[in-house]
Amino acid sequence: MSVYLAGAKAMDYEVLMPQFSDTMERGKIVRWLKKEGDYVEKGEVIAEIEAEKAVMELQSFKKGTIKRILVSEGQEVEVGKPIAIMELGERIEKPKLEEKPKLEEKPKVEERKPPPPPKEIEKEKRIELPPGFASPYARLLAKEKGIDLKELQEEGRLPSPTHAKDIEEFEKERYFTPKALELLREYELSLEELLKEFPNKKIDEDLFLAYVEQKGIPRRVPVSSVQKSLISNLSKSFVIPHYHMYEVFDLSLIPWDKEITLTHWLVKIVGDAMQFFERLRAVYKEDHYLVYPSSNVGLAIAVGDELYNPVIKEVNRKSLREIAQEVRELRKRAEEGKLSLEDIRGATLTISNLGMFGIRAFDAVIPYGQVCIIAVGMQEGDGKTHMTFTFDHRVINGFHGALFVKHLKEKVLDKNYIKMLKKGA
Amino acid sequence: MLYRDALNLALDYAMEHDPRVVVLGEDVGFYGGNYRVTDGLYVKYGPKRVIDTPIAENSIVGTAIGMALMGLRPVAEIMTVNFAMLAMDQFVNQMAKLRYMSGGKLFLPLVVRMPQGVAKQLASQHSQSLEHFFASVPGLYVFCASDSISAYHGLLHAIRMDDPVVFLEHVLLYGMDFPSEYVKNFDPFKARILKEGKDITVVSYLKMVHDTLKACEWLEERDGISCEVIDLISLRPIDFETIYESVRKTHRLVVVYEAPKTLGLGAELSARISEELFYYLDAPPLRIAGEEVPIPYNRKLELMAIPTPEKIYERILSWSKSHGL
Repeated sequence: MSVYLAGAKAMDYEVLMPQFSDTMERGKIVRWLKKEGDYVEKGEVIAEIEAEKAVMELQSFKKGTIKRILVSEGQEVEVGKPIAIMELGERIEKPKLEEKPKLEEKPKVEERKPPPPPKEIEKEKRIELPPGFASPYARLLAKEKGIDLKELQEEGRLPSPTHAKDIEEFEKERYFTPKALELLREYELSLEELLKEFPNKKIDEDLFLAYVEQKGIPRRVPVSSVQKSLISNLSKSFVIPHYHMYEVFDLSLIPWDKEITLTHWLVKIVGDAMQFFERLRAVYKEDHYLVYPSSNVGLAIAVGDELYNPVIKEVNRKSLREIAQEVRELRKRAEEGKLSLEDIRGATLTISNLGMFGIRAFDAVIPYGQVCIIAVGMQEGDGKTHMTFTFDHRVINGFHGALFVKHLKEKVLDKNYIKMLKKGA
Repeated sequence: MLYRDALNLALDYAMEHDPRVVVLGEDVGFYGGNYRVTDGLYVKYGPKRVIDTPIAENSIVGTAIGMALMGLRPVAEIMTVNFAMLAMDQFVNQMAKLRYMSGGKLFLPLVVRMPQGVAKQLASQHSQSLEHFFASVPGLYVFCASDSISAYHGLLHAIRMDDPVVFLEHVLLYGMDFPSEYVKNFDPFKARILKEGKDITVVSYLKMVHDTLKACEWLEERDGISCEVIDLISLRPIDFETIYESVRKTHRLVVVYEAPKTLGLGAELSARISEELFYYLDAPPLRIAGEEVPIPYNRKLELMAIPTPEKIYERILSWSKSHGL
């Protein structure tokens, strides 16, 4: 977690951007809970960090005083980069006297944090004068736009002195409905452009939409940070040497219902099967595999426009009911945007089910850092279901894959096993 | 490249390519310059071209004027601007007037270099900023350099001119490391736009440019106020056109300088803008400058006497708020 800075004082300690998960490469500081000069105990939370799809709390590994914050709120840095410097040791009671600068010292351009605006600036009021005053430029604008400044100032619709910005705001309110203004920002169009197009007309939502349709102007949809990490991981997934296996399963024996859905059943059956194949519980590192003892199964969950990939841990030790309950909780957390990093890491295999939409068969992209994804299609009348397996060839060769698929096919037709699961639920 | 090295390189280049270029000043030779700007030149060009002088500023400038009239191209160094006061007669009554009074028959290819400004606790007699003293004299050119690029190119340009140039540096800049690049057709008479912006035009020069850039970064990040930062290289003549063009776009002007506010260069700039662009202004011009005191020795008081990034940030922010931005 730490290195000593060359040249820094022996007791200076760098707080680094931690790696919360195997695939995390960058983290964003959401909020500093401590400021420069604050004393922190070991284990105290100093910052909130957003990575991949969750916000985590960063606890201090040491006790000491935060000397400098190097990365300000909202900034993103790579894992392992210093984000703050601490002076280790007990609480310092007295501030140290500044050392005298030497004459030939190289002055450093310090990366200082912006000063918090002092209270008097926060309270700073704009100058107020009786009606009739405006900046020279505001007068020019008013003349151009045919606005009677004095009249509007007397009505209280414009401040005095009037500035250019007030006239812009007034124009917006005069000619745009709030909804149209929102759209204006969304489409990144300029106010003037529309005012020119529709002189002396109130522009509402319908008019605006008709205009962009007629001009064929695209709407700008921002990509959330969650989706950004997902997209970058997807692109990385594609360099994994992968291959597919297609098989039709007979799922007619599985007694799924609204409470415990087919997806829940599949998570359990697949998780149990993974216990027999350690390569499916493995993560590939350059010169070795890390094999997890329990089966951790990821689920692809869509919430609104976003895709999440939470994990059900230790599936092999959980009952169907527990799994169903956990999936519901994870979905709720995903909807509230409260998935923690613990919720989304550690899976080696993911299940993606699009059967409920009537998709017969499809193949899916392996989530980065995992070794397999199972794409589940629609269950037909006779219980036949297409499943497509995508494997990471570096970990699972065709032989392993075939054995795993064969094992799964037998499991879903194993009456005793299904009965046992049902009872256990 | 360090700022001092950029100046050293410019001197070296000029001396190598033109045998008429000589350097003179206190401790510029054997010692290598009080701020190490002339380091190594003595060894390379010898005592005839790198001349150690007595501590006599009036004579240094006077001698340099004589040299220039007789065909050399001297670069005189005064240790700091504070000591140039002793040579004011030479600056104002000789240097600035000889070309004019001879109807252009006399050439004066002369540069006088000196640092100015607040360093760290050198007290009032060694911490002044006096650019307006020189910039108010017709007949002088006044250049200043805020980084290695303008130091190197600006000084070379000054040495090549047939007119007298006062070349101002800043004590704190000497040890600073700046990006350096060769700029083709560098024009010291053109102000540089260091950062584009749309809400406010902020004009500065010398070291204050860096404090201004820092403050403007904060304004942008924290308050969404976008500043256009302009760096002046020539203080006489001033490139008003670049400033006008920017203010026509932003409708607001701020000038940041280290000298006391009253009668400083900012007074000239805001007066010009008010004269020329009155109807374009959306707020009164703002000057952020030093306090009306001799610079104190005490470090805390010293910092209170001049603009700092924090101060510049706060002043611009509160001015924006009270004038409806």
